[in-house]
Amino acid sequence: MKKTLCALSFAAAVLVITAGCKKNNDTTEPTFNYDVPATYNFSNANFADATTRLGMATEIGNLTKLATSGPIDGPKIKAMLTNTGAPFTTAVYNTSGIQLNDQFAPAFKTDVLKFIDSLVAVSATGKVASRNVAGVGSATANAATKYALTGLGLNYAQVINKGLMGGFVTYQEATIMGNIASYDNNTVVNGSTAMEHAWDMAFGYWGVPIDFPTNKTGVKFWGSYTSQVDAGYHANTILMNAFLKGRAAISAKDTKTVAAQVAIILDAFDKLGAAGALQEVQEAKADISDNIVRNSRMSEMYGFVYGIKYNPKRTLTDAQHTNLLSLFPANLYDLTLTQLNALRDAVAAPYGFDAVKDLL
Amino acid sequence: MRKLIYLALVAASTFALVQSCKKSNTDDSTKAASSFDRKGLLTNVSANIIIPAYTAYQTSVVNLDAAIIAFNAAPDAAKLATVQTTFKTAYLQWQSTSEFEFGPAASVSLRVNTNTYPASVDQINANVAAGTYNPSLLANLAAKGLPALDYLLFGTGADNTAILAMYTTDVNAAKRKTYIAALSTELKTNINTVVTAWASYKATFISADGTDVASSIGQLINQLVYDYEILKNFEIGVPAGVQSQGAALPQKVQAYYSKISVQLAIAHIQAIQNLYLGKSSVGDGLGLDDYLVQANAKSSNGTSLNDNIKAQFAAALAKLQTLSDPLSTNITTNQTAVTSAYTELQKLTVMLKTDMTSSLGILITYGDNDGD
Repeated sequence: MKKTLCALSFAAAVLVITAGCKKNNDTTEPTFNYDVPATYNFSNANFADATTRLGMATEIGNLTKLATSGPIDGPKIKAMLTNTGAPFTTAVYNTSGIQLNDQFAPAFKTDVLKFIDSLVAVSATGKVASRNVAGVGSATANAATKYALTGLGLNYAQVINKGLMGGFVTYQEATIMGNIASYDNNTVVNGSTAMEHAWDMAFGYWGVPIDFPTNKTGVKFWGSYTSQVDAGYHANTILMNAFLKGRAAISAKDTKTVAAQVAIILDAFDKLGAAGALQEVQEAKADISDNIVRNSRMSEMYGFVYGIKYNPKRTLTDAQHTNLLSLFPANLYDLTLTQLNALRDAVAAPYGFDAVKDLL
Repeated sequence: MRKLIYLALVAASTFALVQSCKKSNTDDSTKAASSFDRKGLLTNVSANIIIPAYTAYQTSVVNLDAAIIAFNAAPDAAKLATVQTTFKTAYLQWQSTSEFEFGPAASVSLRVNTNTYPASVDQINANVAAGTYNPSLLANLAAKGLPALDYLLFGTGADNTAILAMYTTDVNAAKRKTYIAALSTELKTNINTVVTAWASYKATFISADGTDVASSIGQLINQLVYDYEILKNFEIGVPAGVQSQGAALPQKVQAYYSKISVQLAIAHIQAIQNLYLGKSSVGDGLGLDDYLVQANAKSSNGTSLNDNIKAQFAAALAKLQTLSDPLSTNITTNQTAVTSAYTELQKLTVMLKTDMTSSLGILITYGDNDGD
């Protein structure tokens, strides 16, 4: 609903693309004439595997949330990563023959196991969370809102969740987009070419319905966050536009337009890590005096910032990324407003978000 | 939600445009709204409401700090009573001061540094025992400011004799004296910074007379609504149990120990109402009410939005006036009265946060969190 207006103007703007109609010199530019639809309703589109994997990741998220009500089953969560031993509630996931783990960024494969171990340990302490005491804490305003925090204030359920967004979804987007030109676009297998199918999977990993952003039902992971940050960074329209245009261009063999959309999508997913982090700054500020809630929000921010490193197409250098992480206090209970603002500014600057850093 | 507000605005202005065709008067509401003297409103609000509120609060904090210094030098019952009186005056004045959290106040985070409650007694006692505290730690927000003084000056003993002993014979008496002095000094430092900054910020404030998110009207309305929601939620709703499935949390009221919660809430809603009306000691100047009238703003049933807001301010105030201090006791003995006051306050939220903002084309930029 948030984006209805944009959706309308966007739909109006999406018209027939006619490239190279004008003869300007002797070089013959290929001429294309094809429709870009307003929704991702390409007849041969298939991203069922992406949807299944997002569903698996959601089940993992649901299980991690149980850390606030007692010890959680670490081995089961790890089995969900590799789809071993029918770990999912949704039965078709168990028999799907696909898994999450082989889609992860290499570094995330090992990181996520440590994150899970940390959360399992916190869930088992049976203590009330406070500075240097791992356990479960409640929001000041509502005792029913609980978070499982380490003694350093980190909510690993959030680090895992945001890690999945960076180490799985963004990694997939960057990998697929980065390699799109290498996929075969001539041989049709199961109704589509390899390039079309790869593009469909990238769209599927975004986690939005085919008529997004008019319809926002069932958005997942980045599909949810692109809307959350949309006030400051209009990723909904940018991404939907690019995915639609690129997919139509692939089918029309318009490689130049495909390349242009790849650049847009790579740029958007690079920026989204920062946009998500800045959004958490606002949420941390909204609960600034509540140590438990604030720490959980800061954990979300930490998860976003940490997850930037899983993106093989990131613009941030390793040194810049290390520097960003160093701005977090060693113990989140020790956070000051000056530190929070410094973190905000440091995240915003390299992505050009200075003007909107308080709006995201 | 933000786009929804835009959409509502477009729809509302289109509707108003169609309506105006019936009259021979060709002025449409959009044009009327844009011709409103926003600079005049900003001038009135800054000169007659904001700056006087800041200076009055500054004076009250200076008096509090002086009373604490005198008390610390030679603690006795009379000086304790003086400190308590000056504290109540400062807390009361703060209610007219909290709504301007933009510009200078935002840069020192005046609101949370001054009034984060409920106070954390554990953290306060830890800081007292340690003999030191780091005021910039967010973890100390609940251990400083007016709520911490509320506890230290009213809650450390059953009566004033017992409280006085905490500053004379108690093992931590000296450290406790140091702590209250540090707290009042910090209050004073913060408001001094804000008052000084407003001397030059005033011109900036008046000149940013657009309606975008960075405009002064945008910030003023955002903070008016935000502060109003603090009143509704934290002064009344949360302690009355509206966020805890009806389980009352009376110890979460503002000013729990000095027992002036209702008095403060009344002063608070009156201050917000005055800001809305543009009303001050010099009279009823240009306010948001005039702006809404000029914009010909209507509620969904077609009646004047300004009239409805004014009536709802009155209804909410009347409900608050039926409550009595100590509010924590009132919540225990008659929770229904408190939740029904909350209900009236909630009705006004919708008018201010949704109807007013959409009528004036103002975006609410603070977000409701996603519940993660």
